Amino acid sequence: MAVTLQSSRFGELQIPAEAVLDFPSGLIGLGGRRFALLARSEESAFVWLHSMDDPDLAVPVTNPWRFFSDYEIELSDDEAERIGISDPSEASVYVTVRSAAALEDFRANLRAPILVVGSHGHQVINHAADAPVRAPLFAGLQEEPSKAA
Amino acid sequence: MLIITRRPGEKIMVGDDVVVEVIEVSGSSVRIGIAAPKSIPVYREEIWTAVQAENQAAAASAVDELPDDVPTPTRKR
Repeated sequence: MAVTLQSSRFGELQIPAEAVLDFPSGLIGLGGRRFALLARSEESAFVWLHSMDDPDLAVPVTNPWRFFSDYEIELSDDEAERIGISDPSEASVYVTVRSAAALEDFRANLRAPILVVGSHGHQVINHAADAPVRAPLFAGLQEEPSKAA
Repeated sequence: MLIITRRPGEKIMVGDDVVVEVIEVSGSSVRIGIAAPKSIPVYREEIWTAVQAENQAAAASAVDELPDDVPTPTRKR
């Protein structure tokens, strides 16, 4: 069974009903309840987390470890209990991306990752140190490798 | 805004399910305990505001700015 997603960016799309994700608390400060992940291909670096109910509401997300190999997530006990997992590794993890005209101005929010557990999605607060709200996604491209250490 | 004077140990009910308790007052700091149903997330306001702003900025991203193929740096942060 498919459900229809209306998108101001992508037009009308048919989404398999089982691919619809329920966000009980929405995205922080943005709301929304039902979302779907839209990828151009399996290999796409960026995926759109798109509202099923608001044609204008969509956020690009990415796999954080594709860009930040040592990224870590620490959840508070309350939040782990709220979303029903004991370890972030039980979830599929995405971080939101703020695009820009130039790649070096792209930013990822490492402080508030999105965890997908089964058919449920949750944006959570990451309590790990060194998890900025606006981490440069392509900073490494600008630097000489010797400067990284 | 409702403004209430409370002493340490005293509580405030928000609806039937949320309890806010003043735990301790020390100088200019107040320790507050919040008991809410686990379905209700509780945030520090400045973190909530920062994440909301970043979510709004991400939601304003343009489709044609996102490349299909991106260089994938293998750097450590």
